[in-house]
Amino acid sequence: MTDKIMIALKSIGKNKNRNFLTMLGIIIGIASVICILAIGDGFTHTVTKGMGNHNTRNKVILQWEPTSDYNTDGGFTPNDASALSKIPGVDHVKLTSSVAEAGAKVQYKTKNVSIGLNKQPKHLSLVKGTYFTMTGASNGVYISEDLAHKLFKENAINRLISIDGTVFEVQGIYHISEMNYRPDAYVSKQIFKELFANQISKDQAKLYVKADANKKQVGKTAVQRMKKMGEQKNTGRYSVSNPDTVSKQFTRILNDITYFIAFIAGISLLIAGIGVMNVMYITVSERRKEIGIRRAFGATSGDIRNQFLIESVVLCVIGGLIGIIFGYIFVAIINAFLPFKAVITAYSIILSLSVSTAVGLIFGFIPSNKAAHSELVGLLKEE
Amino acid sequence: MLKVTNVGKAYGKFTALENINLEVADGEFLAVMGPSGSGKSTLINVLGLLDQSYTGEYLLEGKNYKDVNDNELSQIRGDQLGFVFQNFKLLTTYNVYENIEIPLIYSKKKQSKKHEMVEDVIEKVGLTGKEKNRPSELSGGQQQRVAIARAIVNRPKLIIADEPTGALDSKTSKEIMEIFTKLNEAGTTIIMVTHDSEVAEYAMRTVYIRDGRLYNDEKSVKNHD
Repeated sequence: MTDKIMIALKSIGKNKNRNFLTMLGIIIGIASVICILAIGDGFTHTVTKGMGNHNTRNKVILQWEPTSDYNTDGGFTPNDASALSKIPGVDHVKLTSSVAEAGAKVQYKTKNVSIGLNKQPKHLSLVKGTYFTMTGASNGVYISEDLAHKLFKENAINRLISIDGTVFEVQGIYHISEMNYRPDAYVSKQIFKELFANQISKDQAKLYVKADANKKQVGKTAVQRMKKMGEQKNTGRYSVSNPDTVSKQFTRILNDITYFIAFIAGISLLIAGIGVMNVMYITVSERRKEIGIRRAFGATSGDIRNQFLIESVVLCVIGGLIGIIFGYIFVAIINAFLPFKAVITAYSIILSLSVSTAVGLIFGFIPSNKAAHSELVGLLKEE
Repeated sequence: MLKVTNVGKAYGKFTALENINLEVADGEFLAVMGPSGSGKSTLINVLGLLDQSYTGEYLLEGKNYKDVNDNELSQIRGDQLGFVFQNFKLLTTYNVYENIEIPLIYSKKKQSKKHEMVEDVIEKVGLTGKEKNRPSELSGGQQQRVAIARAIVNRPKLIIADEPTGALDSKTSKEIMEIFTKLNEAGTTIIMVTHDSEVAEYAMRTVYIRDGRLYNDEKSVKNHD
């Protein structure tokens, strides 16, 4: 087998340019297969991982949505929480917010701006200033580039601003990209807790249920109870949030996209396959003398067919390997722009190589068969 | 070695071979002479099991291979026959060693044995040191030596040579014919087609072919005319 592959490599090497052009279709096809699968896998991974937070088996998530656009502040109160925790099957209740930031008003000299604000994250890359975790009651604040432009003409660092009446000193400025959402300002963890956290409306109640509880029943009872006695039942609507449905919808959309792109990749591989068939026909007709010599010296028609079939497969697999390399490069480039990380799995590599082999076998078969069944006397007349 | 009885071959209305009767003994060196278009190559194709669409009977080593399947025919060609073609018919992208190795690719011998066999014939035809050369880097005589080495590497019983000196000058022709003579002395049966009477003199016996008919001596060819 090794010597047969060597023969194939040799004759492929003889017509490098022609064969490279033929491989181009395979390279593009396989590189796109790798990219599609990487994006799909990365997306699924991110979505299911994100869903996983909500998706844990032991809780029911109750949500409150405002019925009017004018009064959006509201949600669950501590009294609601204690009422919910009395529902049979509920172990304990935790109130959270689907919005991660608090609304606040910033003032600098005569300028007033409404912003969203949060506690500082562990890491943040700054355009100006140095980043560090502010201790205790520090009055430092990190603001977005956008906010800095709104407030100051130049040099925002160390300026004093007022946020909801409290004075803060600007420590640094960060950039918000379109891909990566961030609030307008960050303050220290403690300050956030003391001054702003209570402004975030608790619009979600996580009902941690006991192991033997019926989640569906708990959800139903909870909604009924809140409709009756929820403290903000007049300004909003209560419902059970069902992340399972959302994730199923996501997966369906994702699958549709994958099928569509796979269809396009399939067409590109089909065209590539026709290219391979064409070049194999040319190779066979160029090498009639060689076929004749081999047949005269003991090669069976099967040997000849296999020789050309191996050549066609080797051509496609080389194309596939180059395609995989390009796939890796493209995925690395795409990853710089994607909000999630595309991942290349072993499965997609195996699939790519199988597809390349299949293209070689399918489209190489007819020309190889033609070579195998050419009339011997005619072949030996070739010069 | 072989026996041909009433063999004929026609391409449509054109008769290429007619009523051929020929017997070649083991170890014989036979020359087939005739002008171009006389049917020499057609005869060689039949004798070499390259063309099976003939009429009459052809026995090689007492066996009739007329209705044998393609795979078996290939195996017999590979094991028992060796061809030396006009214009050498070497593969230009392969080096000397690789060209000579071709018949062994399809035999089931061990790799080490194959290597030994190739090296052995390279020495026999005097091409030691040229293993890595491409045919284009060799003279005509050297190329024909490669072709002869390829024909004998599998140690066939019968060598069929089609105009082996057709593309060579007289000095080189002589060298090539000496190789054939040595092979024949070592017991290989040779059938050689040529139109050169000087070359035919190396053979033990010469038959003549004209318009698809075979004659045992030159005189009967002339009588026929």
